[in-house]
Amino acid sequence: MESVKGHKVAKSGITDVAVIACAEAKNVVASGRSVPHLAGEVFSGALQMAGIDKDEIDGFVVCGSLTEAGNPFWSAVIADHLGLELDWCEGVDLGGASYVGAVARAALAISSGMCSTVLVLAADAPSTRNQQDFKAYRPEWQEPVGLMGPPGLFGLLSSVYDSKYGLDPEALAKLAVTQRQHALMNELACERLRKPLETADYLNSRIISDPIKLLDCVMVCDGANAIILTSVERARNSGDRPIVRLAGYGEKTNHKITDPLPDITETGHQIAGKRAFEMAGVTPKDIKLFNPYDDFLIAVMLQMEQLGFCKPGQGADFIHSTDLSYKGDLPLNTGGGQISAGQAGLAGGGHNFVEAARQMFGEAGERQIENPAFGVVTGIGTIPYARNWSVSNVMILERSA
Amino acid sequence: MTEQSNQRPLPVPTDVSQPFWDAAKEHRLVFQYCREAGRFQHYPRSVSVYTGMPTLEWREVEGRGFIYAVTVTHRGPPAFRGTEPYVVATMQLDEGVRIVSNIVNCNPDDVRVGQRVKLFWLKMDEQFNYPLFEPDNE
Repeated sequence: MESVKGHKVAKSGITDVAVIACAEAKNVVASGRSVPHLAGEVFSGALQMAGIDKDEIDGFVVCGSLTEAGNPFWSAVIADHLGLELDWCEGVDLGGASYVGAVARAALAISSGMCSTVLVLAADAPSTRNQQDFKAYRPEWQEPVGLMGPPGLFGLLSSVYDSKYGLDPEALAKLAVTQRQHALMNELACERLRKPLETADYLNSRIISDPIKLLDCVMVCDGANAIILTSVERARNSGDRPIVRLAGYGEKTNHKITDPLPDITETGHQIAGKRAFEMAGVTPKDIKLFNPYDDFLIAVMLQMEQLGFCKPGQGADFIHSTDLSYKGDLPLNTGGGQISAGQAGLAGGGHNFVEAARQMFGEAGERQIENPAFGVVTGIGTIPYARNWSVSNVMILERSA
Repeated sequence: MTEQSNQRPLPVPTDVSQPFWDAAKEHRLVFQYCREAGRFQHYPRSVSVYTGMPTLEWREVEGRGFIYAVTVTHRGPPAFRGTEPYVVATMQLDEGVRIVSNIVNCNPDDVRVGQRVKLFWLKMDEQFNYPLFEPDNE
């Protein structure tokens, strides 16, 4: 047990679990496909890669879906569709932090003995049909002032960063260009985005909500992804693939909610990252693959700062001085990320996780990185009123032979 | 943006927030104040975020402060099309509470973080006045 801010973090629950398979559907805009159809594809794909029988899946966790948002029984209904008989079944509704959060919850279910092998699934088709109804503060405090959803909120956040540290568009451009180069090598990325991108394309892209440009934002699409988790012990006995173990996890929701005047450039990733790195016993210098949640480019830079890859305010310098390509010092979102592969609604958070697993299995094709010993995947979930994002989580993966 | 935009969506009050809108009708800007913590909170909630108890009362503020965060929207939601560019900002009021709203009666290009602002009531219809802000040149 380790103590972070007086809070005991159970190490064994998370770190005895490994990823044994992953699958992803191609991201497509307005695919016309149903969410169960997408879910079935990645379920079959993950089973096939794991080489296990369907009946070995005895635990299931699914992320929410914008398309299926009206269904209050989503996890049980989709598990039924897939023909799963389960000892543990759960839905996770942490927005873009859902996938990483679902993996952690599944690990705890396995290590506590509730189940032995879990399918973690996310499927969504919001560019075909979107039924979300966020409510909360929005009908009174956001919609009447024309705040343009996430681009507006990240515009506000960017202005605070800019006034405190200065915002460097060239650094953000490098993130855009790097991730686009990765998407060009990923056949599962949205075809609409698989076109080369130059620095000038980013710098000259249309302003949506100043300083947020069109190319700062994700494009919404349809897609799905899945992984299968089991104990490290079972994983060792199940095949020839490298062991991709969960090495550390941290999560924080509503960071500083009792500060009415918080610095919104500080996020819960400060806390979540510290917990994850302490649990894994590594530091940012050990990380060879960085797949942060990327709904906006500035979120990527903020996470570099908040997780300790560099100091607050030094994100741009870090970006300029680091090779973030798949061949570089710190490969960044090697599948293209959501920014360049598309954001499949609430399944988008799984894209970067599946890519990390794929890299660690050594099955990332022409964009395979050399030695992904330790990787970081993160989540960002929902945007509250006048603060930073709500949910921050961080998962560290470790590969061993 | 014109202050007469008739497409601006009306707020949808809840049983928690209704006192805000009742006061707004009288051109009074009020926020929830936690008696125990001695702090404001906004948006309105059923309990104090500081105590978890309904240790709340409504207190009027003057409506002056500065811009904490700002974005100029060039492509707004459907109800705001044609009114761009317009300014959305987080105001930090002098009493220690933040509110997100529009800044009007200004050139969007000139609006900056740190700039002083003051309350400007927008009459939306007979039921609703909405608190907007404008540059405070005093």
